[in-house]
Amino acid sequence: MLKMNHLSKVYRTHLIETHALRDFSIHVRDGEFVAVTGPSGSGKTTFLNIAGLLEQFSGGEYFLDGVDVRGMNDSARSRLRNEKIGFIFQGFNLIPDLNLFDNVDVPLRYRGFNAAERKRRIEDALARVGLSARTRHYPSELSGGQQQRVAIARALAGSPKILLADEPTGNLDTQMARGVMQLLEELHAEGATILMVTHDPELAARAQRNVHVIDGQVVDIHAEPRMRGLGVVAAQAAHG
Amino acid sequence: MLELRPILSALMRSKVSLVLIGLQIALTLAIVCNSLFIISERAALMNRPSGINETDTFTVGSIGFGADFDLRASIAEDLAMLRGLPGIADVAAINATPLSDGGWSQGISLDKDQKSPTAPTALYLTDEHGLNALGARIVAGRNFRPDEISGRTRQSLAWPPGLIMSRALADKLWPGQDPIGKSFYINVEQAPSTVIGIVDRLQAPWVHKQRVVELSTVVPQVVSDGSFVRYLLRAAPGQRDAMMKRVEARLAELNPGRIVRDAKSIEKLRADVYAEDRAMMIILGVVIASLLIITALGIVGMASFWVTQRTKQIGTRRALGATRGAILRHFLAENFVITSFGLVAGTLLAYGFNAWLIQNYETARMPWYYVPAGCVTLWLLGQIAVLGPARRASRVTPAMATRSV
Ligand SMILES: Nc1ncnc2c1ncn2[C@@H]1O[C@H](COP(=O)(O)OP(=O)(O)OP(=O)(O)O)[C@@H](O)[C@H]1O
Ligand SMILES: [Mg+2]
Repeated sequence: MLKMNHLSKVYRTHLIETHALRDFSIHVRDGEFVAVTGPSGSGKTTFLNIAGLLEQFSGGEYFLDGVDVRGMNDSARSRLRNEKIGFIFQGFNLIPDLNLFDNVDVPLRYRGFNAAERKRRIEDALARVGLSARTRHYPSELSGGQQQRVAIARALAGSPKILLADEPTGNLDTQMARGVMQLLEELHAEGATILMVTHDPELAARAQRNVHVIDGQVVDIHAEPRMRGLGVVAAQAAHG
Repeated sequence: MLELRPILSALMRSKVSLVLIGLQIALTLAIVCNSLFIISERAALMNRPSGINETDTFTVGSIGFGADFDLRASIAEDLAMLRGLPGIADVAAINATPLSDGGWSQGISLDKDQKSPTAPTALYLTDEHGLNALGARIVAGRNFRPDEISGRTRQSLAWPPGLIMSRALADKLWPGQDPIGKSFYINVEQAPSTVIGIVDRLQAPWVHKQRVVELSTVVPQVVSDGSFVRYLLRAAPGQRDAMMKRVEARLAELNPGRIVRDAKSIEKLRADVYAEDRAMMIILGVVIASLLIITALGIVGMASFWVTQRTKQIGTRRALGATRGAILRHFLAENFVITSFGLVAGTLLAYGFNAWLIQNYETARMPWYYVPAGCVTLWLLGQIAVLGPARRASRVTPAMATRSV
């Protein structure tokens, strides 16, 4: 699904070079739920941004769903991102002047779906996160947890290959964080591939697999011991 | 793939900026359209031909002094000298000229008993050289003969039997008829005159009096009392300025018993008589240019502010799959929507402003195409103004979605 080999990322400013990632290799398979942990500044966001085609990388190779993304131009990257990736941000990143319906509509319009198709997908996605009744509400009229659910609906609506989440619960209190985490687990159980950055060891522990990043390198990958049967079955069903 | 609907609903939530920029665009449209129309009206006014040769002609005045000054003799002597002067194509004594804003006018009646005249007319009193010196074109009938020229004094009440008039005046008096030989009264107490010739066009001296500006009558008389005479001279092509100086000098030399003054080209008269119109055009032109620049800058400023304010939102859109082109189009479309709002209001305002001008300043109705043309101009202006900020927006990196706070 997502494969990086010896990837490196160097940020150059006029004073210093920062090696945000070095010799970074990882392979995320279809249907996996991977939690990425590591200290602040270790390169987690950098990794996620590169995975999501938000940033270019300096060296190595990266295959997204079998596609070699090296040297791709900006438009092609935008289209690939739109089609294959669903983003969930720490700060929700909803557009405040659009209601929930229009917020979920944003990536679908870039996709070029027709109005009927978009409407169906928006309604399905909002129903999936339990916000069907509030399509005409604006983000400011929702709680943080609800806003993050809208963002998840927006990420889901285009049926992406993989969901990328950078500290999706970072701005939420424990109660709301638990709700969002539960939603992600459900989505995983339904077959979604999820890559999630988190600071919270408790949340990380609930993922299927943990990736620890220190100083721009993957130090330790261990499979989650308590593999939930439901998830595996659903994942197999989805890809079988 | 225009996203007009969501753009529209988003804008509806930030009404203050919508109203501010929209109002500015509305005012600009209304003022620019009406100003342009006024400019074009003034330009049309200035572009009306006077009917005479303006490039080669000039006038010069002479005032005699001393009790024994003989105007008639002086005129005869002056004309004989001037007509022999190389570089002078023709010369005549004349009471007034087109574009001078001063002269004589009378009413013309067709019937002895009518209470008010049929038409007003400017009166040009000159000799048989007058029309040739002006460069006016006789298109029907004939010019005066030398033997028809007489003197006119304050005591003269009758008008000569054969007069020449402008075609516009003839058309007004006898629409659709041949005017040659028709009779009319300048003074209903006296014998009528007949039309012996028609000049194609001869403006009255008062260019701002719409009612009379094309209506002139040429009378074969030279004012012969008092001590003032005005000569109208036509120089050979290209020699006007040189001849103006020489004529002044020669006249002074010929008869030191008078003052020669006011040598002025007809072009100078035209510049003077239309000075206010030209000033108005320049002022309105400056107003138009300033308004367009201020509006464009307003749009640039507002759009730049929005791009800065929405950096994270733009990054998010990029992260969600917007291409650079889609971001660019988003800002262009947003500007189009805002401008359109302004233009709807501006259209009403433009017509309202015109109606007000019609009522209070006798302005004409603005032709229909001014407002649509203004709308297209402002749409283009808006798109061009927003292009810079929109391009800046399109260069926001998708990483701003996760990197900015
Ligand atoms: N645009 C940039 N220019 C220069 N250096 C950068 C840039 N973005 C990130 N870095 C640097 O790259 C390194 C990795 O940053 P990154 O944001 O990936 O860390 P992180 O693991 O997500 O940290 P946190 O847990 O605090 O979010 C840091 O040293 C950071 O300062
Ligand atoms: Mg981070």
